[in-house]
Amino acid sequence: MTYVVIGASASGINGAKTLRELEPDAEIILISKDEYVYSRCILHHYISNKRNIDALNFSEKDYFKKYNIKWMKEIGVDKLKDTENEIELSDGSRVSYDKLLIASGASSFIPPVENLRSANNVVGLRNLEDAQKIKDAAKKVKNVVVLGAGLIGIDAITGLLGYGLNISVVEMNDRILAVQLDKYAANKYEDLFKKNGVNLKLGVRAEKLLVDEANNPKQLLLNTGERIPCEFVVVSAGVRSNTAFLQGSNVEFDKFGLIIDERGQTNIEDVYGAGDVTGRNPIWPTAVKEGIVAASNMVGKKLLMTDFFGSKNTMNFLGLATMSLGNVSVPDESYKEEIETKDGNYKKVIHKDGIIYGAIIQGDLSYAGILTQLIRRKINISAVKKSIFEVDYSDFFSIKENLEYTF
Amino acid sequence: MKRIKIDRSKCIGCLTCTTACIVSHDCVDNRSRITLSSKGKYAPIFCRHCDKPECVYTCMTGAMRKNPDTGIVEYDKNQCASCFMCIMACPYGVLKADSENNREIMKCDMCQYTESKSPQCVARCPMHAITLEEV
Repeated sequence: MTYVVIGASASGINGAKTLRELEPDAEIILISKDEYVYSRCILHHYISNKRNIDALNFSEKDYFKKYNIKWMKEIGVDKLKDTENEIELSDGSRVSYDKLLIASGASSFIPPVENLRSANNVVGLRNLEDAQKIKDAAKKVKNVVVLGAGLIGIDAITGLLGYGLNISVVEMNDRILAVQLDKYAANKYEDLFKKNGVNLKLGVRAEKLLVDEANNPKQLLLNTGERIPCEFVVVSAGVRSNTAFLQGSNVEFDKFGLIIDERGQTNIEDVYGAGDVTGRNPIWPTAVKEGIVAASNMVGKKLLMTDFFGSKNTMNFLGLATMSLGNVSVPDESYKEEIETKDGNYKKVIHKDGIIYGAIIQGDLSYAGILTQLIRRKINISAVKKSIFEVDYSDFFSIKENLEYTF
Repeated sequence: MKRIKIDRSKCIGCLTCTTACIVSHDCVDNRSRITLSSKGKYAPIFCRHCDKPECVYTCMTGAMRKNPDTGIVEYDKNQCASCFMCIMACPYGVLKADSENNREIMKCDMCQYTESKSPQCVARCPMHAITLEEV
């Protein structure tokens, strides 16, 4: 039996490891464009020189040897020929599989702003190569624009802070981190970034990137007519799943990405998928779980994906931590919000009829993980006679036979 | 693997386990705690070193790992990026960061790096409400 895994990030690495754990004798081949195994979520620590490439590795140091996985690195996949159980690689070679796990991830989306796609020195922050380019540029240029103030954009800024650059962030929303935070929580970070010299351009749109004769960026023109100086642009405007190589195959995908069922299987029997390539719930824990789920089903051990709660994140910028769960503002008047500001901490919980639908915890995050479960499982807290900010596991306490907790 | 068995009915909330945890790790913070339910019942909240550990699945640096030999979910503070996704992921709200620097996760290690090499909360509990059991 030959298993082929495409991709060396959260899904691919965890998927291949699971395959080995369940099938000690199978041949397992992992193919990746990446030269290294690294965590995309901490690339800003590489930019800031807090971590070297080794320290970005989220797998075991001897991973490929330990799990006896053949790694074909720095190779792309050009075509999937599902009727022949074969993939075509960027070096022209072909690899046959009995079962295939597609964990090819996603790529930065560069929006159709004039000149943005064609100019030099415009990058996303997705791959190690992007981080390397940003790092190199940071040593040479004076002015940087970060386009988009989502998590990736803010990551990029924190990575660049120590270089003494003039950093501007351009965002269409009225606040930074608009998906994860409300106005109050976002303001806390905005103040911190302003104190660190970052220029915040909020509620504005990029109209055109002005370039010089050599096609290098000079200024970013905004819809207000303002021109923001920049010799380098980091784009954080979302991602698109890497499904191009599926064109011409029978594997189904839509505008978001690869379509898989709760076992990780695509419409083709021997082809499975996991992680950001699906374009749904693109967060680390989902990618890991989908990799494990797909791998289990590939070897015939039934396992279903059950965690579809994807609107959850934590962040820790400039010494201030925040957890964001579910709805961060009331969807309509039938929902209630409770807010507590105490000791420099901000807590907000959205609820309705005893069910919690969302929360923001900023500052001290201690023990707040319970909220994730209460939201995910829609657990009714009406019987809890405590402040909604003090709910803990004591009111749900239950122990399984193997001594684990359960709800 | 071994887990700490919790007999809730025996717990008198004396916090000897909490103190033992602090002393064992020579740290100002505790890695387990006792809380009170709405009905006034004590609830010892201890890391379960889960078979399917959410904190491990969510860790994007590889700092949180389940040791396949011992079953212990181990935490490497040097590899940790203090993103706090594990705090969010723990279904039972066991985790927090250290109160001094807000950087290191206060994760139960079953005292395997201490001189005793076995959980001091268990060793010190006067009520035998927590015991070490093979599961």
